[in-house]
Order: sequence, then C-alpha cells, then structure tokens
Amino acid sequence: MSEFSEDLSVVLAQKRYERISEIIGSTVKKDGGSVRTYTDMLDRVFLNKYLGIPIFLTLLWVMFQFSFTVSEPFVVLVEKLFEFLSHLVEQNVTDPYLTSFISTGVIGGLGSVLVFVPPIFALFLALSILEDSGYMARAAFVMDRFMYRLGLHGRSFIPLMIGFGCNVPAIMAARSLDNEKDRMITILVSPLMSCSARLPVYVLIAGAVFGSAQAGTAIFFIYALGIVLVVLAAQLFRKILFKGEQSPFVLELPTYAMPNAKSALLHMWMRGKMFLKKAGTIIFGTAIIVWFLSVHPWEATAGGQLIAESYIAWMGHALEPVFKPFGWDWMTAVALLFGIVAKEVVVGTYGVLLGVDEGTLGDSLVANGMFTPLTGLAFMAFVLIYVPCFAVLATIVRETNSLRWPAFEVIFQVALAFLVSGLIIGVGRMMGMS
Amino acid sequence: MNSGGSISGGSLPLAFLPEGAKATVSDIQGEKSIVGHLADMGFTPSARIMILKSCPPGAMLVWVKEARIALGRGMAMQILVNEIEEL
Amino acid sequence: MSTKTKDTGEQITAALIGNPNVGKTEIFNRLTGLSQRVGNFPGVTVEKKGGRFIHQGQVVDVVDLPGTYSLTAKALDELVARDFIVEEKPNVVVDIVDGTSLERNLYLTFLLMELDANLVIALNRWDLVKARKINVDLDRLSELLGAPIVATVATTGEGLEDLKSSIIKVAHDQKKSKAILDYGNDVEAGIKSISAVLNEKPDLLKRYPPRWLAIKLIERDERVLEKANSMFSGLQMAKILEVIGYE
Repeated sequence: MSEFSEDLSVVLAQKRYERISEIIGSTVKKDGGSVRTYTDMLDRVFLNKYLGIPIFLTLLWVMFQFSFTVSEPFVVLVEKLFEFLSHLVEQNVTDPYLTSFISTGVIGGLGSVLVFVPPIFALFLALSILEDSGYMARAAFVMDRFMYRLGLHGRSFIPLMIGFGCNVPAIMAARSLDNEKDRMITILVSPLMSCSARLPVYVLIAGAVFGSAQAGTAIFFIYALGIVLVVLAAQLFRKILFKGEQSPFVLELPTYAMPNAKSALLHMWMRGKMFLKKAGTIIFGTAIIVWFLSVHPWEATAGGQLIAESYIAWMGHALEPVFKPFGWDWMTAVALLFGIVAKEVVVGTYGVLLGVDEGTLGDSLVANGMFTPLTGLAFMAFVLIYVPCFAVLATIVRETNSLRWPAFEVIFQVALAFLVSGLIIGVGRMMGMS
Repeated sequence: MNSGGSISGGSLPLAFLPEGAKATVSDIQGEKSIVGHLADMGFTPSARIMILKSCPPGAMLVWVKEARIALGRGMAMQILVNEIEEL
Repeated sequence: MSTKTKDTGEQITAALIGNPNVGKTEIFNRLTGLSQRVGNFPGVTVEKKGGRFIHQGQVVDVVDLPGTYSLTAKALDELVARDFIVEEKPNVVVDIVDGTSLERNLYLTFLLMELDANLVIALNRWDLVKARKINVDLDRLSELLGAPIVATVATTGEGLEDLKSSIIKVAHDQKKSKAILDYGNDVEAGIKSISAVLNEKPDLLKRYPPRWLAIKLIERDERVLEKANSMFSGLQMAKILEVIGYE
C-alpha cells in the first residue's frame, strides 16, 4: 500500500493528464454548453433504479423470442432440404449399406442437428446487436448488485450471457476478467448455463411429454434451474476453491451507438463459425459412429433394421442399471453416452435409434412410452448438467492450460446431475407421480 | 517525487456521495495495481468527477475525464474525494 | 517481423490499438473485411485478429491488438499489446481515438509515444464530434502530438481511405520526432541516472526505446525489471535499484 500521490505510477499518470489537458485546451473548443447526449437520456431509463432490471429481463426474453421466430423459416428450409436429399438417396442408391450410411447416418444424424443452426446464429446475432449498441455494459451495471451477492463478478455477466448461445465462446469471453480467480470461477460455472445445444433436447422431450401448451413452462423451468445452479456453484467454488476477495468491478459504459448491420453480422458469423466447426467435425463424426454402432453387426441387425441387436443396444443395456432408478431405458443411456461428445447428438442419436427423422421424433418417443412427465423433466435436468461437451472440454483445457480442471469439471457435473435428477424423481415420486 | 499531503479533513469515500454530486479525487486506498489502474483511467489527484448514478448496494456510475465509469461499491469505498460546488 | 523499407513491394504491418469501445473493431472490419482471421497471441489466451488490405498497390497486414486503457505489465491483454509493439515492431501503430472522449483516449496515445511507435491517429466518431458542435483543430493537434491525424467515421466508412493512405505514408517516412513529456525534475533526474546505466548495454538500447525503458524501470514495471535482471550484471542492477528506491 502506498501513499496515493507518492505512488510513482500515479504521479506519471497525473503528469500525462495535465499535458493532455493543456493540449486539449488549445485545440478543442466546445460551442454551446454541455449537450445532453442520447447516451445520458437513454441511461436515465436503462439504469433507472426500478426499471433497470425489468427492462433487462424483458430484453433477454425478446432476445430469445427473436432468435426462435426469425430462425423458424430457415429451420423449415433445412428440414425440407434434408428430407429431399434423403428421398433422393433412397431412390437412387441401390446398395443397402450405402443407403443406410447416407440416409440414416449422414443425413439423419447431421440433419437433425443442422436444423438448429439457424436459431443459434440468430441468438449470436441478437447478442452481437446488444453488445455493439453498448447496452451489454448497462446490463452488467444493473445486475452488479446481484452478481456481487451471488459470488460472481459483475464482469462475468457478459460471458455468462453468451453461454446461453454456446458455452465455448462464453468460456473464451471470460478472458475479459483480469482477476484469475474470478475468471476461473466464471469458466467453471459456464457449462451450467443452458446453451442452445441443449435446447433441441428440451424441445424434443418437453414437446413429447408435456404437450405444446406446457412445454414452454417446462423449458423455462430448466433454464431457471440452470441459473440457480450457476449461482450455487459460484458460491461453492468461491468459498472452497478460490478463497479471497473479489477483484474490483471497474467497467466503462460506452456511448450508445446504432449497431451497424454489417458489423453485427460479421460478429455473428465469427462466433457462429466456431459453432459450425463443432457441428461439422465432432457431431458429424459422432453421428457416423453412432450409425455404425447401430447397424453392426450387419447380419444380426438385418441390414440396420433391428437396432435391438446392434452394438449400441449392447452398450445401452450395459448401462441400463445405472439409469433404471430414473425410469430411463437403454436407448436413453446410449443417447446420453453419445451426448457427451456434443449435446445436440442426444437428439440425433434418438433419430438414428428410432429410425425416424426429426419431425416425427417426438411422436415416436411418446408412442414408445419412453418418458413420463416426471422422468422427462428429470432427464432434461440431467442433460442440462451432466457433462460439458467435448468442444467445451477442449476449450477449458486450452483456457486453463491444464487437464486437471476439465477432469474436475466432468466429475463435478456428473455427480451434480445424478443428484439433481435424483432429487426431482424423489420429490415427484413422493408426490405420487410416476 | 512529490511528497503527498496526508488525507485532509473533508475527504470522504466516493461511495457516500449522492447522484449529481461533484468532487475532486484526494486519495485512493488499496493495492498498488488497482491504484495504478484507476490512475490510468483518470482517477488522479485533483481529478474532477461527477456522480451520475448511485445504486446501493450495487455499482456507482461516475463521470471522469469525459467517460462514464462504473465502479463496484467496494471500489467506491476506497476512493476518497473532496466535494466541490462546480466542476 | 516486417522489415522497414521504402520499397512499395515489401509488406507493411500495421497494428491497431485504442481504448475499448472506440470503434476499433469496426475500423478493423472495414480495413480487412473477410480477409480477417482469428487466432491467439503466442502462448497466451488472448485473441489475435489479423487481416490485410491493399491500397495504392501496397499490401498492408493489419493486426488488431486488444483494446486497453494502458500498457502496464499488470493486465495480460495490456502486456500482450505492449509486447507486440515493442518486440514485433510493426511499421505503423494506428491509435484509434474516440473524438468525443479525447481527454481520456489521448492517455494511451501518450503511452504509445513513449514506446516510440510510428503513430497514425484515427480520430473516430467524427460525425458525433460535429453533431455536438465540438471544434477540433486537427492540424494543431497533430502538431502537438507529433503524429498525423485522420478524422474517421467508422460506421459509414468516411475517412478510411485517407487512413489507409496515411498508414502507408507513415510506414515509408520513418521519421520519429515525437513530443517528449517532461515528468518534472525528480523523475527526469531519475531517468537520467538510469539511462547512464542503460547506456552500458548499447544493444539493449537498439532493441528497446531508451527513454521508455528508463520510465518503466522507475515505475518498477515487473516485466522490464525481469528483463533488466537477466541482462545486467549484479553491480549494474544494484545501481538501477538504488535509483528507483528498491530495498
């Protein structure tokens, strides 16, 4: 601790500012008094004591709504495209093995994932617009009250928000936290932010067991659960792993600017590209592996028709005892297993296992009686928590420069997933549900 | 090297000022890195600042060197200022 | 590492720097467009964006440095930005300044001048400056700062072509008369004493700006102290430490 004005860095800073003041004095003239700027006027609203948080929550809701409605036409387009390709293959390719590979493996697996690329890009676009406009800093300001109480640093707010789109850029955005402890905590709780990859799973399951009327509520519950867990985990980590004071919150609020369309789109593209790479490589690779394991041994499965005789079924049955208490069957076990690679694959896996395409998957799940509302909800919670996907794990390795933390994260999340799902089932059963 | 004056009477933590108040910076307590960082941002001795927003127990918004800086409450407690009438 | 040269055939590297939120990203986008690539600065988790533009037949590689308020050793992105300028020695450093917030933005400019960077200053948000009826004497400002200033409006692209020309011109001119800031008798005396020791290692002075080194040592910058420790003998270090008042 040093005496402020004796601290040399302060003295130098002061001298620099003095000179700057002189220079500005002789080169800059302000005609007219201090103009009330747009920024000040907007801040009166956005930073208002009472309106600030409601406005933020509303904007958040708008952001998600925007992402889904704007992307809808694109989703339909992608669906139709893959349907068409599937038929094309079936009609023109004679070799059953190849047909199965392309139609079920490539198109089925990859397709049911790419169908969600539009909403993700739309979400990134919305985030870019909010950032470029300058609003994000206001949101961080308004939320600082809570963030601080929750053991989170105000500046981890933006990275966590990004986590709603994808945990990978969220973890990378944690770099903006200078304090290493704050950064680590942000990185470690990020995977609990429900990313857009998990959404397909929620939509599928919630749609199947809750019907379209209540599906939204169920999904909202899961998102809220995620946020609660982030808070609890942050407090836990801060108390046990990263003891110490939080580093000070200092953030400049930029002047508001009309977001530039080109810029926002470029921003969206740069972030979305990361996600696309993930879909292109990891998920595609996994979809193929899933297909492979589901049609071999080829004779036993009668050319991919009898999945119950495949390697994948064998793996699922081996894991089944672990999940029996939760009311989940071997197909779910398999889906979860492959979801470790990338959460979207859970949907793709069901697609392959049930031999149907994306559109009718929900109906298939219902028809097969695989989930009840209770087990479905517990499953959604499990998917939310159970493990960071490969891409996220790889990112954590890179950002923490160690294998220790990703390993910890995996163990922590798996344990937490079983705990929370177990609690949901337990409470539900006590209430007489099945 | 200037020999700095001791904290004069009349200095109080920034956190206690209401919205609209104007002040000059007199001292910053805390770790050297934070003091340096704040000095770089414009919180130098005698720097003029104005409180734009105060949301206890949350952050404060301060106008300094033509920029709006949000400060956590903890930070605001460590910056000592002298209130003034006009900027 | 790019070589400084007067041939228009050689490559020029320009580094973009500035405070956060001044429109640096926008300017980078406009300069490099789809040629931009994202990577990391070597060995650290700090994003490095690079791209290029071609102007008047000259290819210019652009590196986007992290947006910072200062160039201390205490924050990773500041250190990365500083290291890039000091070690990689880009031909030009483009300091992007928010015209509506000059008082604070010029702080970084002064730090860059200390680093002996070949500066081009982009005074961004020129449209807002005009709208708020702020009158800026660009010529005088340029004179006082010792660097060319180009007024830009990143959101419309206004001034960007002039900026490109200015970058190329500065890369070729290589003149480095920068305004020197007098830090007051005590500090200047310290700088002189340290410089005396520094002069004993001329190759060090060739690699790094001498005055900047002295100032950093006086500020007890961790990184520079580390470097000094490894380059100077015990006796020389003792002399330095004495000046800066270390026990």
